[in-house]
Amino acid sequence: MRILLVEDTKDVGEAIVGRLSRIGHAVDWELDGTAGMEVLGATSYDLVILDVMLPGMDGFSILSRLRARGSTTPVLILTARSRVEDRVDALDIGADDYLVKPFDFRELEARVRALMRRNSGEATNVLRCGDISIDRLTRMVRVGDCEVHLKRRELTLLEILSSRPGRVFGKDELLDRMFGHDEAPAPNAVELYIGRLRRKIDGARAQIVTVRGFGYQMVIDGPA
Amino acid sequence: MTGFATRLGFALALMFAAITGAPAQTMTRFPAITTQVDTLSIHAATDLYALEPLIRDFQQLSPGTMVEIVEYVTNDLFSTAGGACDDGGALGDVFLSSSVDQLVKLANDGCAQRIEGADLARAPRWANWRDEVFGFTFEPIVMVYNRDGMSEAEVPRTHLELAELLRRDADRYRGRVGTYDVRLSGIGYLLAFNDARQTTTTYGRLLESLGRAQVVVRCCTSQILDEVAAGRLLIGYNLLGSYAYERVRRGQPIGIVMPADYTLVLSRGAMVPIRAPNPGLATRFVNYLLSERGQSVGRSQSFFFGLDGSAPAGIEGPDVVTSGIARPIVVGPTLLAVQDAARRKRFLEDWSQSVIQTAP
Amino acid sequence: MDRREPSLFIRLFALMSLVLAFGAAVLMTAAWYSARQAADQAYDRLLLGAAYQIADAIQIQDGQPEIELPVSAFELLALSDRDRIFYRVLDPAGHTMTGYERLDDPAAETATPVRAIVENAEFDGENVRVARVVRRFDDPQMRGDAIVIVAQTIEARRALARELTLRSFILVGAMGAIAIGGTIFAVRRALAPIGRLETAIRQRDPLDLTLVDVSTPRELAPFVAEINGFIKRLRGRVELMQQFIADAAHQLRTPLAALEAQTDLLSNDDVSPSTVKHLDRVRARTRQLSRLTNQLLSHAMVAHRERAVANSQVDLTELTRRALDEAIPDTLERDILVTLHAPPEPLIVSGDPVNLAEAVKNILDNAVRHGAPARITVRLLKKSNRAVIEVEDDGPGIPPEQWPRVVQRFGAPSSDGKGSGLGLSIAAEVLEAHGGALFFIEKGSFGFVVVMSLADEERKVA
Repeated sequence: MRILLVEDTKDVGEAIVGRLSRIGHAVDWELDGTAGMEVLGATSYDLVILDVMLPGMDGFSILSRLRARGSTTPVLILTARSRVEDRVDALDIGADDYLVKPFDFRELEARVRALMRRNSGEATNVLRCGDISIDRLTRMVRVGDCEVHLKRRELTLLEILSSRPGRVFGKDELLDRMFGHDEAPAPNAVELYIGRLRRKIDGARAQIVTVRGFGYQMVIDGPA
Repeated sequence: MTGFATRLGFALALMFAAITGAPAQTMTRFPAITTQVDTLSIHAATDLYALEPLIRDFQQLSPGTMVEIVEYVTNDLFSTAGGACDDGGALGDVFLSSSVDQLVKLANDGCAQRIEGADLARAPRWANWRDEVFGFTFEPIVMVYNRDGMSEAEVPRTHLELAELLRRDADRYRGRVGTYDVRLSGIGYLLAFNDARQTTTTYGRLLESLGRAQVVVRCCTSQILDEVAAGRLLIGYNLLGSYAYERVRRGQPIGIVMPADYTLVLSRGAMVPIRAPNPGLATRFVNYLLSERGQSVGRSQSFFFGLDGSAPAGIEGPDVVTSGIARPIVVGPTLLAVQDAARRKRFLEDWSQSVIQTAP
Repeated sequence: MDRREPSLFIRLFALMSLVLAFGAAVLMTAAWYSARQAADQAYDRLLLGAAYQIADAIQIQDGQPEIELPVSAFELLALSDRDRIFYRVLDPAGHTMTGYERLDDPAAETATPVRAIVENAEFDGENVRVARVVRRFDDPQMRGDAIVIVAQTIEARRALARELTLRSFILVGAMGAIAIGGTIFAVRRALAPIGRLETAIRQRDPLDLTLVDVSTPRELAPFVAEINGFIKRLRGRVELMQQFIADAAHQLRTPLAALEAQTDLLSNDDVSPSTVKHLDRVRARTRQLSRLTNQLLSHAMVAHRERAVANSQVDLTELTRRALDEAIPDTLERDILVTLHAPPEPLIVSGDPVNLAEAVKNILDNAVRHGAPARITVRLLKKSNRAVIEVEDDGPGIPPEQWPRVVQRFGAPSSDGKGSGLGLSIAAEVLEAHGGALFFIEKGSFGFVVVMSLADEERKVA
């Protein structure tokens, strides 16, 4: 996948490029806002990571121009600013996610994965399965009257299972779709996440059923 | 008239002559209906017969009041009252006089007291001076004639006609025309004075005619009326209409003429002297005189004319008020000129010269 | 300064009324005086006229002075129909021809013969106005001055003067009433800009730092300029502080991010086991430093915004949802069941969304960091005009004796090196600024509860 990083702090940029390259992405790095904007005009990317405070043109300006052009490329904003001024939220002007510096690089990685996957996702934002509803945009999961906070990978697993209730997904398929090829998950990763997910959607009118020796399926309870 | 007094049981002749030089006055008492509480002393130059109904009616309203009436001729009342006022003495509670000029003069000299009351407002404006002197009657000044001695056609209707008649037929009327002796009668003087003011020429001619006719002069209206009624006099001039009408009512052969050129109207005056012993009672009496009740009694029994000028039946001549010939003698300071001593003296001299001295 | 001054309106009104009252008094006195003068003038003419008429009536006949008092003179005097009249006519020899002997000649003591005199005097105990005129006779038989003295009481004059005065009083009164009405109107109109300014200032949000824009008369301009000057200075300070915090945030976070980045680049595989231990410590301390920096900046921001940002309508549910997303990192190793229970309708409060989010985030962060082995439940409730956010976790909680301390800055235990201790105090501060409160419940339905209670919108409006 192709990622554009616009970040003027070399130490940070270096680490981001390093980490994302390690998991197999092609990262272009620009140190200057104006340059970044130019590059965006010429090349199409799967993800753009923007620092807010940039020489030339700040991250918010780049983002709004991008959105003004009609681009739907996912954008992750990195910011060192405090929200001391009454500025609009990054999310409100079209960012898909944002991280406040300093951040944990594992967190960055997790968010990048989630964003990349979402871009290849489905048309509708809200997925329903029994009394579970999943809002892909806000990552809000509602079980009955209650909202449950899921981690990104748990959400991915739930999305996969809920997209085709009744279908049995094999462990390998799930591993593939949750982690991609670049990661080396623990062998029991699927069981671990299935366990966690079951606990979190406990009480829903849909449940994850283990099809022994084969995989997992989402089963919706009867209308009772 | 004196019959009333004797019947009342009290008739007093008081001789003031020794003290004041004034002629005698008659005092009449009207005892209180119930137990006597107070005494109202009225000093009047008004015939008792006219006053009595008013007194009696007033006593109905004020039963505890004994009323005493001292009668005078006008000039005597004036001189006595003036003397009492100057000396600081008291003379009665109410003065009643047809000679209002004298009352005005007394009031001007500070001898009257201001009085108040709801009924006083009924006096016409011309009949109230300073709330001290009130006119309470409306009395046209008339000519009378003996109906037996004169035909109606002969009777003069105006002052000028009278003068002409006397001149034309001097022999017939010589000694048979009567009027006031203005030297004795205040009212006579007041009337003559006002005649003189109305039309100087007519007055001059009239005076001359009267003198030539050897006019008979008397102190009082009643004497002239007696003589006219008796036929000794054919014409009486300048007499109080109310007294004359009283005779007509009694059936005497008297005709009454209100002169058509002008008719003097006199309003009999009432006044409360400054040092009246019973000013409250006096005020009540004056109020009574002007009240609806007092006026009604006066109109039916005493003076016959209403304050509004309404005349009783049987009076010859136009209605004085509506025809505009009435000349009310205004109760006011103008009358002071009448009472001026020098002026009076001169007037009386002229009058005497014309009326008396030309008489043979 | 504390003494309560009467309002400008009352002051102006009182002063104007005083001036008007004084003016009215002066006018009334003048009116009374001139009315008396006018009445005297009018009646003096009658008096003199009468006196002249009487004087004209004196005639010499046969060498003797004669007088026939003219009625017309009395008719003239009778125009004041309630007044008593006194007169005296003296012949050239000084003998009284007629009238009141007691009436004194007002000019008797004056040496020079005056033609006509009108003056006040007293006769018979009454105040009178006396006119004296002289008629000179140059007849061969009679030479000298005949004197006519006419006096009249003054009732009519007084009555006329009273009536004239009363009319003037009515006029002055009407003018006074109009003037008072006009004063009220004028003062109200003149003071209206003060009222407008007052309204404009009172209706402002205390945190509104825009300039006062009210058209005012010149006299008020300095006040408005002063207020605006103050607002500008304040705005300058606020902007400076904002800039400082923003700069500080950027300046501190960027190197920290770089530090984290660089430590991240250090792979554990490349170093010896003992170095790994040190490296882990460096990472932990870096993270602690980042967190402390974040909390300090958060605190500075919260404190600043409290004083500088106006309130707006905030949907607590949405705010809490976002806060959950930020406060619970994906990288958290523990598997915590985080649920949010909210009423179906939005829970609206008036406040600063950023600060409130900061407060909720800090509470959640605290729960994730210090408690919650497995469960965090966030409940949004509406409790009798209060909006309540409850954060319950199954962790050990905070012992009650430490409750007062943890809401103070750096009050939370941090000896283990993990907590900075600012989280709860930031939340408490934000809530206090919003008229709310932060408190704890030791044993909720399954664990320790932090309760944030806020006045909800309806109550605020009321």
